[in-house]
Amino acid sequence: MKVLVGVKRVVDYAVKVQVQKGAVNLKNVKMSLNPFCEIAVEEAVRLKEAKAAEEVVALSIGPKQATETLRTALAMGCDRAIHVSTDLRTDYMELQPYAIAKIIQKIVDQEQSDLVLLGKQGIDSDCGQTGPMLAGFLGWPQVTFAANLNVEGNGITVERETDSGTETIKIPSLPAVVTCDLRLNEPRYATLPNIMKAKKKKVDTIKAEDLGVDLTTHNEVVEVFEPPPRKEGIMVESVDDLVSKLKSAGVVA
Amino acid sequence: MSTARSLLLGKSPRYFKAFLGNPRTGRGTAAAFSKTSVVSSSSSSNLQDFFNPTEVHADLRSMLRDFVKKEVEPQALDFNRTEKFNLPLLRQLGDLGLLGLTVEEEYGGTGLDAAAVVLAHEELSYSDPAFCLSYLAHSLLLVNNLSTNASPEQKEKFLPAAVAGQHIGGMGMSEPSAGTDVLGMSTKAVFDHRSDTWHLTGQKMWITNGTLDGGKTTGDLFLVYARTGPERSDITSFVVEKDMPGFQVGQQIHDKLGMRASPTAELVFDNVPIPNGNVIGEVNGATLCMMRNLEIERLGLAAMALGIARRCINVMKDYASDRKAFGKTLWDFGQIQSAISTSYAEYMAGRCYVYALANQLDLDSYGNGLDADGTKLYCAQMAKTVADRAIQVLGGYGYVGEYSVERLWRDAKLLEIGGGTNESHHKNMARDLKRGADLE
Repeated sequence: MKVLVGVKRVVDYAVKVQVQKGAVNLKNVKMSLNPFCEIAVEEAVRLKEAKAAEEVVALSIGPKQATETLRTALAMGCDRAIHVSTDLRTDYMELQPYAIAKIIQKIVDQEQSDLVLLGKQGIDSDCGQTGPMLAGFLGWPQVTFAANLNVEGNGITVERETDSGTETIKIPSLPAVVTCDLRLNEPRYATLPNIMKAKKKKVDTIKAEDLGVDLTTHNEVVEVFEPPPRKEGIMVESVDDLVSKLKSAGVVA
Repeated sequence: MSTARSLLLGKSPRYFKAFLGNPRTGRGTAAAFSKTSVVSSSSSSNLQDFFNPTEVHADLRSMLRDFVKKEVEPQALDFNRTEKFNLPLLRQLGDLGLLGLTVEEEYGGTGLDAAAVVLAHEELSYSDPAFCLSYLAHSLLLVNNLSTNASPEQKEKFLPAAVAGQHIGGMGMSEPSAGTDVLGMSTKAVFDHRSDTWHLTGQKMWITNGTLDGGKTTGDLFLVYARTGPERSDITSFVVEKDMPGFQVGQQIHDKLGMRASPTAELVFDNVPIPNGNVIGEVNGATLCMMRNLEIERLGLAAMALGIARRCINVMKDYASDRKAFGKTLWDFGQIQSAISTSYAEYMAGRCYVYALANQLDLDSYGNGLDADGTKLYCAQMAKTVADRAIQVLGGYGYVGEYSVERLWRDAKLLEIGGGTNESHHKNMARDLKRGADLE
């Protein structure tokens, strides 16, 4: 099985982002490997360690600093990496899921991957669209929000977490697209020897424009604003008071 | 348990975000994760390359920052409070390949440089200087010393288990009555030709990792310096192993001001038989072994001071943004501006001094003592001063364990005493400066 793992470079989860000129300010902002992509990498490396996968390739789309993100994936155990280079913003402002899925499709075709593992969503755009769109373009079965993945014969059985519970989905034979959710695994720390080995692993760079994919921003972002500050609550003296306030606010009949 | 959860379940809701930032995904999904890139952050970004000379350094620092946030930070306050040592956590550093940074690959190490040593100590000390001290005692005072001074056979025998974390130990130089006056030591070893064995008698004091189990037994492996001849400098370095007859814990040292999570012990040697093969380097030649290891030891301690200072400055910054007085945030008050800005400048001066030395330090050489002493002398007092300002900026909250800075202040104080007192640095540096030429 050849596995392709998507790794996205996103604003670090702990950063307090600021909106400037109608977009999130990315200048001098700490960037990190998207947490859900990290889980996808961990799952891919585990497949390799279980000898279910023969090769794991990490893919990132972004500026030249995306190679740092790829190095982390390599240090965790991926065999080699592909960097699709673009200076377009990947937080939905410029490059959007449709185009991103098209780019990944090109790489899948090039690599002849059997399984694509992606994070369920990027914590910058929170779209969750790339995985399903990619599956659609490829005509492959997909499972999103994977919380458990087992290889069975030529296929996989995946437990999928939804708001109303977990469902088990059986894909009798690969290829397939799986997006990874929080409880799928706990990603490893790269050991120092593996960090050093990662230096020697191959990273191929392809320019996004050379892939023959339409990179146009089709959806226009009309406005970006910070959520309004939390308003102060009102203290009430009694339950009757509470009920009457809820009624007048139209919250209860 | 992640820091987020442990603080949310504790009693300090109002300022927890000061230490964690604001989780941007409301479901708390990413709270414990995210492999950060340390090279692309805010100010002094031109200097980031100076502090991360290669990609391996940058990646190592990223990995450590993650590890420290998730594994070291959550346990720091508790182990400090109970004066307990987190041995499993130190072994985890072994799993990550961090105990043999400078050791050759053939003995299980990663063959890295002084800059890697510095950054590892910086990152660990950001959250738990006490834990880092045990790390330093093992990886620099014991492992690096063996790597530098032992024969290939000795390295083959002792290093792999020490680098893997199976054996944890330290070094014994100071005694109850001899500290700065190193050569005033009285622990002695006498050679018996018939059995090809030395007999070691004496006591060593303030030994980090001297015990790993709360005082019941000794650590696994120690480099012990003992007098083996009539001249003052006739000192020999021996490897002493756990369970050698007559080798015991005298007492664990309790109620320390700081570094409480690092176990400190008095070790006792009662005619301990040491095979001749356990002599490191030449008989009566240990001052050379000492000198060769001194520089990296001092740098490690200076690096710990840097981690402490960086943490204190970050804490001050967050508090100054969150806390209001007289209708303004603390950033508007001159004393706070002074505390934070002066701390930053002093910290950067120390950091640049340390990396300037580390980036060109050849681990096999010696004779750079002046700056090794200088970096530690400067950074130790700088860290203590910055931590002191942090307590003051935080006011009442600075006085409380949960806000970390009081612990960092107590931990920082040790750096002016352990691994060379301020006075020993003055002595050494004055000697070097007196006989040296004019400064360029």
